[in-house]
Amino acid sequence: MGNKSSLLLREEEIAQIQEETGFTPNQIERLYSRFTSLDKNDCGTLSREDFLRIPELAINPLSERIVQSFFAESHDDRVNFLQFMRVLAHFRPIKKNRENKLNCREEKLRFAFSMYDLDSDGKISRDELLAILHMMVGANISEEQLTSIAERTIIEADTNNDQMISFEEFCRALERTDVEQKMSIRFLN
Amino acid sequence: MTVDGISTYPGLGFGPMGPVEPLPGEPPGTQLRQNQDTTTELPTTEKTKKERTFVIAAFEFHRVETPFLIGLWIFFASLAKIGFHMAPKLSRMLPESCLLVFVGVLIGALLLSTHSVHVQPLTPDTFFLYMLPPIILDAGYFMPNRLFFDHLGTILLFAVVGTVFNTLTIGASLWACGQTGMFGCTTPLLDMLLFGALISAVDPVAVLAVFEEIHVDEVLYIVVFGESLLNDAVTVVLYHMFEAYTEMGPSRLVYTDILAGLASFLVVAVGGTCIGVVWGFATGLVTRFTNEVRVIEPIFIFVMAYLAYLNAEMFHMSGILAITFCGITMKNYVEANISHKSHTTIKYTMKMLSSSSETIIFMFLGVATVNNTHVWNTWFVLLTIVFCSIFRIIGVYIFSAVANKFRLHKLNRVEKFVMSYGGLRGAVAFALVLLIDPTVVNLQPMFVTTTIAVIYFTVFIQGITIKPLVKILNVKTAEKRKPTMNERIHERCMDHLMAGIEDILGKHGNHHMRDKFKRFDNRFIRPFLLRNYQGAEPKILETYSKLAMRDAIEYMQRNASTIGNISGAESMSAIFKNYTNTNFNGSPSFSQIDTSTWNIDMQELEYNPSKKDLTDAKIHHLLAEELCKPFRRHRRLSYSRHAVNERDLGIQVNYKTHMNIRRRVGDRKHHHKRSKRGKQDGKNHVTFPEFQQNGSAKQFTHDYIDEVLQEDGEEREVRRDGDDGGITFTAKSPPGYKEVSPTSSHKENSSSLLNQLANLPGFNPLKARIIKQYVKTPEEILPTAVEKSLPWRRDRSTYNFVPNEDILEEDERRLSDDNDNYNMIVAEQARVATPTATETMLPWKREEAEGSGALKQSEFPSWASNKEYLAYNSPSSTFLGGIEKPKHPKSIIGLFRRESSSSTQGAAEAVVLSDSEGHRESTSKGEASSKDGGVRQGPSLLSKRSTSLGGPSVLLMEDVAHSDPLGASSRPASIMQGPQRGQCRRGSMMELTGSMSRDAITEEKCCKSLPESERMGVRRLPLGQSLGREPFIRQLTLASSLTTSSSSEDSSDENT
Repeated sequence: MGNKSSLLLREEEIAQIQEETGFTPNQIERLYSRFTSLDKNDCGTLSREDFLRIPELAINPLSERIVQSFFAESHDDRVNFLQFMRVLAHFRPIKKNRENKLNCREEKLRFAFSMYDLDSDGKISRDELLAILHMMVGANISEEQLTSIAERTIIEADTNNDQMISFEEFCRALERTDVEQKMSIRFLN
Repeated sequence: MTVDGISTYPGLGFGPMGPVEPLPGEPPGTQLRQNQDTTTELPTTEKTKKERTFVIAAFEFHRVETPFLIGLWIFFASLAKIGFHMAPKLSRMLPESCLLVFVGVLIGALLLSTHSVHVQPLTPDTFFLYMLPPIILDAGYFMPNRLFFDHLGTILLFAVVGTVFNTLTIGASLWACGQTGMFGCTTPLLDMLLFGALISAVDPVAVLAVFEEIHVDEVLYIVVFGESLLNDAVTVVLYHMFEAYTEMGPSRLVYTDILAGLASFLVVAVGGTCIGVVWGFATGLVTRFTNEVRVIEPIFIFVMAYLAYLNAEMFHMSGILAITFCGITMKNYVEANISHKSHTTIKYTMKMLSSSSETIIFMFLGVATVNNTHVWNTWFVLLTIVFCSIFRIIGVYIFSAVANKFRLHKLNRVEKFVMSYGGLRGAVAFALVLLIDPTVVNLQPMFVTTTIAVIYFTVFIQGITIKPLVKILNVKTAEKRKPTMNERIHERCMDHLMAGIEDILGKHGNHHMRDKFKRFDNRFIRPFLLRNYQGAEPKILETYSKLAMRDAIEYMQRNASTIGNISGAESMSAIFKNYTNTNFNGSPSFSQIDTSTWNIDMQELEYNPSKKDLTDAKIHHLLAEELCKPFRRHRRLSYSRHAVNERDLGIQVNYKTHMNIRRRVGDRKHHHKRSKRGKQDGKNHVTFPEFQQNGSAKQFTHDYIDEVLQEDGEEREVRRDGDDGGITFTAKSPPGYKEVSPTSSHKENSSSLLNQLANLPGFNPLKARIIKQYVKTPEEILPTAVEKSLPWRRDRSTYNFVPNEDILEEDERRLSDDNDNYNMIVAEQARVATPTATETMLPWKREEAEGSGALKQSEFPSWASNKEYLAYNSPSSTFLGGIEKPKHPKSIIGLFRRESSSSTQGAAEAVVLSDSEGHRESTSKGEASSKDGGVRQGPSLLSKRSTSLGGPSVLLMEDVAHSDPLGASSRPASIMQGPQRGQCRRGSMMELTGSMSRDAITEEKCCKSLPESERMGVRRLPLGQSLGREPFIRQLTLASSLTTSSSSEDSSDENT
């Protein structure tokens, strides 16, 4: 399997991806095999349906947003391997000596922020937060409760009184959280 | 001696896994019976020996000996613990465990010198059956679940492989050294391995005791502590395996026995875990149905966990694993089911039990040191310590290297060092070594001594040095904090995100597994185990309710101080430093937080007035006339806070929250009006002159002042300003004048005050009926009572009553020595004000005062709730029909009034309005009386009151929002609130609180005054003194002859 996928990836592509994302060639090949296995149509790109075909992801409450985050940079609703890897690079664990611009704390936070920020105006509005809460909490809680929770959350983080959470406020709210740890995955070599 | 000491304890043959040599076909019941035998045997052997010593007291002592000794041990151990913390220097330098061991040694020496050597308290039985379970349960129940399972792999690696590694290496090394003959005795390999098994296990008790004090990073803590918990299964299995091998003899050992040992490990570990988990779920299920009997909720947690432990022991499985996992499992479900109070009870009981057990264990270790005759083998002891340390370090480095391959968070060198240094040995090893049968293992006495030496080494040397080392090495220390709403939500969102990414990667990592379990849990387990299944994210709700609770308390604090313009912050407000006031005021949407939820505290708000109000309507009436009474009650509570049990404080908080919610609900509904504050302020001055034109403005002012007075003495100056109509309160909600002012201006020409009152938008026929209720008696008192002026009088009488008492009490305290009820209350309040002065008279007086006020107190909730009743039922005035009998008013106020009036000759002719007003009265009494005209009845009225037993006070209840059922309750609330808000704000408050139920505000005020109570008391005393010689005018409770029909007509007029 690894052989097959590595055959499809040319050396310079691997080098380019490695340069950009910081993954090792081994990891790239491994991820490429995963990429191709998700790519049921063998067209070299992934569609939303390809993602949502993963059974566990389909029942993830935030699956829609997670998948959406992969399509942030694409214009034609398809994700190629480079874009795929760029997104995944956010979740590489931070190595102290090798600082990478994609997996630094701020980028991780920005990625989490983009999960909320549906209209990408740089601010989380009450409705955006409410939508996420809806997905996570489910139907057992009344709308009013969720609304108050969302409002309480916004007020807590809102320092400039605009009823929105900007990215700076978002970072400040999470400054005590070990984001580097929480938003990292150990990629197998 | 050692042999003797051991044979004294028949529990010797009984281990954590049951008998040392379990029979193959033995049913579990036999085990249990044997267990009971051993425990009962213990005291009898002691008794027989005791009787020989203490002849005189023998008979009496004999009966209570065992429990008495136990109690004595616990008492002295706890006393020792107190002692250490009394010496801060000592406790800062040494860990508590060291000091306890030291005290134990002292006691042991004492026992030795009195030849009571046989009193060896630490037996394996008592240790494993009674002392260990509380500690482990505490550990399991308060285990940070997520952290634990995140690091479960590492923990298991250390606990299983690491322990086996240590056992084998220590045993083999000691055996190798023994081969050189340096120990001077034969050291069979199996004996050494047996010793290695018991000495290599990290002890949870010791680890807890030390790591609790050094506050290391949570990851480090959970790894070391988790290891110490989970290695129990390994230790037990290895111990029994080697013990069995020893008894079998090396010659007959076949490899199937070793395989059997492996299988036994799986059975012991997995079986113990399963038993624990099953009991944990069972506990969750049971607590689902305890909502009717909250009192016994905590016992289920303890008993069922203990049963899980015993159950596992019964089947020769790891009881420690069972109780740990029982705690871990039950926690989430139990916490969602039980009440908040039960939660507190469980928490404290568990901490108390575990810390007592820990104390006793360390103390007993000390005692055991002295009592046993030791077989000291220097080389063996030294080498054991060295090997323990070395192999611990080697093991940690090897296995952390292995673990780091799979860990996201790599264990660094400092962490590895702390892990290896924190491998403390403790009482488990000691209890195990006592279990060894000396007839089988000849070296057992030496093992005991060596074990004690190792324990001392780890507890003393390592325990003392680990704290400075942690500082020197700059180990990350844990920070205790509650998650904020943002952290909770965003972290949860990240979890989902990471789980999704893991799924995309096709990787089954932590997030994936956790998500899977959570889904399963939410889908199948929680709905069955939880009474109130609250959706998929209980943690978010929990955090929210906690924060909302905190906000509520903070809000109360802030609000209280703001209203009174009190610059000095209360002590409690310091707690909420990080809270930003701007959040409350600045953001318009904040008040919406609590709007529709009403679950600011999902577990805690059991105080639910709405349930009671319908049934308690009559009581309400009795108390409604004394709206001010609860102030006193609360004040008293807070004053004697040190003497009152904590429950009352908790109730206060609940009230506060409750009220705060409602208040904010009300605020929010009129939030939009708040923005027009400036405009309304302007209208305030427009409105009040109208009242003055009616001749009642002055009265209003007085009323307000009086009430504010009872709220807070410090507000007096402000209120005096308010007399001039220029009072400016910082209350954030001035809306509502808009609505009031048109009405009042419309009625400007009306000469009839009553009409005006009735035509107020909020005037409610229902309230009118309340007034009507008092008609009969008032007529006697006030035959001349003019209808117009009545409402104001009523109003005033209601509010003046308690303030009057405040002043009057001070006055009366000097004037009369009567022991009537009134004076009782005086005494009580005086106690508050001047604790030293009245201290002597306090006990009995307080007693009587409470007796007289008992009815009032017990009925406070009813009183509170009944306002809600009013709120709900105000449109239909029929409900109060049964309450219109005037008998209620007689009971309390009548007593007070009569007795007070009769007792105070000096004040008999005086109408006390309030202390601040009293000042004013003294200066401009004539003016005031002339101004007030018919309002103040003066001496004649007072005398009448004294004659009439039940001169009832009348509550003026009219509403701003006449048509609004909720609003029906607002007027009384606003009246209560009035003084605080300020005269000019009266209308606005009515408007503001239009949708609130009355108790919301009144209670709030009650509670708000609590934190300030002390200050109030202090302030009030000088006031009373200064006023003491002034002629006081006692405000009488006035009655109205207002009829229901007239009021309803008026209101209907207003409507049209």
